[in-house]
Amino acid sequence: MAGHMGLDIELEEVRKIYNQGRANEVTALLSVSLRIAAGSMVCLRGPSGSGKSTLLSIIGCVFPPSSGRAVIGGRQISRLPDHFLGRYRRELIGFIFQRFNILPQLTVLENITLPLLPLGIPPKERQQRAAPLLEKFGIGHRVNFPAGQISGGELQRVAIARALINDPPYLLADEPTAHLDSHLSMEFMDMVSTLKRAGKTVVLTSHDPLVSDHAEIDRIIDIRDGRLV
Amino acid sequence: MKINPLQRQLNLLDYALSSLWRRRMKNGAILAIFAFVIFLLGSFQLLSQTLQSSAEELLAFAPDITIQSLVAGRQTPIAANKIRELADMYGITASSPRIWGYYFDHDNGANYTVLGLTEEEIGAMTGVILESGRLPGAPGEVAVSPAVRQSLDLAGRSAFSLFRPDLSQASFKVSGLFSRETDIVTGDIILMSLADARHLFAMPEDMVTDIGVKVANPVEIDNVARKIAGRFPETRVLTRAQIRKTYQVVFGWRSGFGSVCLLAALASFVILASDKASGLSREEKREIGILKFLGFQTTDILALRFWESVVVAGLAFLIGLSLAYVHVAFFDGGLFKPVLVGWSVLRPDLSLAPSLNGADLLLIFSWSVLPYLAATIIPAWRSAVIRADTVV
Amino acid sequence: MRPSFYLFMLLLLIAAIDGSLLGAWRMGQEARAQAVAGRQAAVFAMGLTDLCVATEARYTRHPAVSDPVAPFMDHPGAIEHFPTGSLWRPVGLLAGS
Repeated sequence: MAGHMGLDIELEEVRKIYNQGRANEVTALLSVSLRIAAGSMVCLRGPSGSGKSTLLSIIGCVFPPSSGRAVIGGRQISRLPDHFLGRYRRELIGFIFQRFNILPQLTVLENITLPLLPLGIPPKERQQRAAPLLEKFGIGHRVNFPAGQISGGELQRVAIARALINDPPYLLADEPTAHLDSHLSMEFMDMVSTLKRAGKTVVLTSHDPLVSDHAEIDRIIDIRDGRLV
Repeated sequence: MKINPLQRQLNLLDYALSSLWRRRMKNGAILAIFAFVIFLLGSFQLLSQTLQSSAEELLAFAPDITIQSLVAGRQTPIAANKIRELADMYGITASSPRIWGYYFDHDNGANYTVLGLTEEEIGAMTGVILESGRLPGAPGEVAVSPAVRQSLDLAGRSAFSLFRPDLSQASFKVSGLFSRETDIVTGDIILMSLADARHLFAMPEDMVTDIGVKVANPVEIDNVARKIAGRFPETRVLTRAQIRKTYQVVFGWRSGFGSVCLLAALASFVILASDKASGLSREEKREIGILKFLGFQTTDILALRFWESVVVAGLAFLIGLSLAYVHVAFFDGGLFKPVLVGWSVLRPDLSLAPSLNGADLLLIFSWSVLPYLAATIIPAWRSAVIRADTVV
Repeated sequence: MRPSFYLFMLLLLIAAIDGSLLGAWRMGQEARAQAVAGRQAAVFAMGLTDLCVATEARYTRHPAVSDPVAPFMDHPGAIEHFPTGSLWRPVGLLAGS
């Protein structure tokens, strides 16, 4: 894992067209070139529909770009089949969703250790790996609660803990504060800042000034209509 | 990173089990219905197999050749003195006249089999197990099965009478009872001397219903039968093999009809199963999207679905089959007994030992578990190909 | 305990039950063989040709004595009607008609 640390994210002439060749074709990204330095904290800013979530998804190895070159963690991910993207995603990327995407029927511990299941890690070791995260984010007392029964603030911490369980070098978050009050938003930014100081590369999308104006943000990248401004 | 494939499958199995457990009412109901269908199918198959195999092992000792007389294509009494003409035929070790007929008891609807054998033949019997008493020796004495005695309502008495064709009465006295152990072959028999049977049915002197022939070399049975048929063109000559075949056909009919009904039940269950598995709810789609996003591969999701189906189908198979075994071995296959053994007033005590063999297990397996797995494959595939980006 | 552990325990339990059923079957084998020998002796001594099942149907109890086409097999007073009798209890069995 440590080997991926210190690698920049490189995008060259990246385009993304949804439903290519069909009637409902949408061009989400038009030739984006970008370099994000390892260990930095970056905010992708733009109105909704600007293409910032698409850009984050390409960085997050969710899908490959339609054309152009994307190198994440030293790996070319352009035109990779799903299978490999999935593998890179679980090794390189911790992703925090806008609505967290926590499975309410599973317990907090099960949710956090979900990414470890396909890696063949036995239950005891899963628990050991989760323990420091649970403690760090103060949710140790909720370990065996169904995730559907915990508060929004706790849910947010579960989401972060899940993103970190594989100790990935990159931490991505899509509009993380959109559904949080300002208190929880600040708390979130503080937690992410700590992670950045610990060496993670952090990429956030947001149009929330609480995020973009945060002291730890190294760079704000403005996007409009699929282009960097 | 090196992935331990066993641990990974165990993890997936764990996950599959907890999702089954979360919807335990629904999955429990499916398991119960499926186990019940397999129980029905398994009991039926076990029972008919067991009956057929015990018929096989018993018919191996049936008379080699039976000779009957035909008039206008119908069976009529045959002259017992034909035996003398048979005596010089090469290959025949013994032949004996017998009267085999039915007596329908109007009072209770029971159908007895009256078997009249020569006194010498009864006297020479060895190995017939009697529960009490002795084989008939004197005129008027009979041996009956316990079921017949009960049906005749004898209680403590041993004397009873049957109606002759002219409604006069023929009196008999029970001298012995067949063992319950041989019920499956002797359950409806009233064994008496040839003369008594002839008296009961008012048959002409020297006439019998058929002649049993024993052949020295089993390979020669067909040849001997052909020779007999050649010498007595007016008779019908039945070999053991023919009787056996007829018997298999009848059983095949009965068990086949039952199986078809059960297969219909199974088919509707499979349709139900696939219907249940095919409707992917939004919740499920979201769950799989999240799993895919978190690094589960398409094969992992397939494995999850596969484990779910295998656990349900496998448990249903084991439970259903075990229950079927208990049903047949300890309860005489009570549910299906009427279909296979009829509605007779006289019910033999089957006390069957289920004959377990790999082919039957495989048959039940491939008619139950495999269709279920097949029915869940397409829905499983449909859910496995949900893309990770659906949750972004 | 992980869920698969409980599954294995359940499978073990089923295996134990089935194993004891099998054991009971094995133990009864000698007695069964004796019973079969007894039946075979009865079949041999009396020249029987079938099992005593469905005694109301003449095509099952001693097929050897039935005609190629059994007369009146389906006449109104028949005890059993083929093939209905395979599935349904004969109507009016006890009516004595």
